[in-house]
Amino acid sequence: MNPIEEGSAIERCKNGDREAFGLIVQKYMKPAYYVALGYVGRPDDALDISQDAFINAFRHIKRFDSSKSFFPWFYSILKNLCLNHLSRSRRRKEDSIDQMVEEEGQSRIPVETVNPEQGAVQRDIEVRIGKALQRLRPKEREIIILQHFQDYSYQEIADLLGIPIGTVMSRLYSARRELRRELERMGVRY
Amino acid sequence: MSCDTFKPLLMGYLDEELTALEAVRVEQHLEECHDCTAELDDFRKLKEVTRNMRVVMPDDKYWDEYWSNIYNRLERKAGWILLSLGSIILSAYGLYWVIAEVFLDKNVHPVIRIGVLTLIVGFCTLLVSVLRERFFLSKSDKYERIKR
Ligand SMILES: [Zn+2]
Repeated sequence: MNPIEEGSAIERCKNGDREAFGLIVQKYMKPAYYVALGYVGRPDDALDISQDAFINAFRHIKRFDSSKSFFPWFYSILKNLCLNHLSRSRRRKEDSIDQMVEEEGQSRIPVETVNPEQGAVQRDIEVRIGKALQRLRPKEREIIILQHFQDYSYQEIADLLGIPIGTVMSRLYSARRELRRELERMGVRY
Repeated sequence: MSCDTFKPLLMGYLDEELTALEAVRVEQHLEECHDCTAELDDFRKLKEVTRNMRVVMPDDKYWDEYWSNIYNRLERKAGWILLSLGSIILSAYGLYWVIAEVFLDKNVHPVIRIGVLTLIVGFCTLLVSVLRERFFLSKSDKYERIKR
């Protein structure tokens, strides 16, 4: 779907056409999922929250300026939902210290190797990298997931997040530096 | 130019995202800067170790259901709005009818009239309370997720 087709789909959404919104959702559901995963860290939560964000976006679509591109606007809705979710689960964690200890030890972004060769060793590295990712700040995690693990180009990321390419690079730099630091701290050698 | 200007460009260089001109500038800096060369090397190793790694994707069936989930919820939402609107219209008419026919009719026994009045006051209190709660909720938590 090119920007012109996207614009006309948005116009139809503004007239209440739910089918047209389907085209928008199909186009952006995966990046929405990655962004949510970057924030909340759990795949099932990321699926849920990204869907909620699309529903909120459709409900408020009249406020969207259709001369702009959809995702940066949608992104602010999605980010708000993610932050709400995080502050609520943080509140829940404070209620139960046991659970916090348990989650600290276990939570990680699930990563897997395409065409795995080494078996157990490789799986161990995957687990450690997943844990290290979980320890990054959301903004860092987000850009690492998009660029490093999903091969989005700098231009694609800049368009999705509505930031200049220079910002993509400087964020990527600090994110990768943090990831290296976390891996070092966990004793991963490579 | 200082190293700090080049650090972000190292990323673009590593990922082959720079213009030819930028790449040449980075290479010139790398030739004379040991620190940046070493750092680029570390980043290259990190990239190498994660080369074939992907974030685990939800199964295809989740993606197949993704849009239909959203569609169903949007549709249900529209259904609820119509349903509420309809009930409000009918309730208002019913209320008008009860007041006109029963409450203002001197022939109806006073106990029934008091009963009807109490019923109406109770109903209105509940309605106002529910509306206020919904209004308050949507004001304070605009993007709060909808409970299914
Ligand atoms: Zn340097």
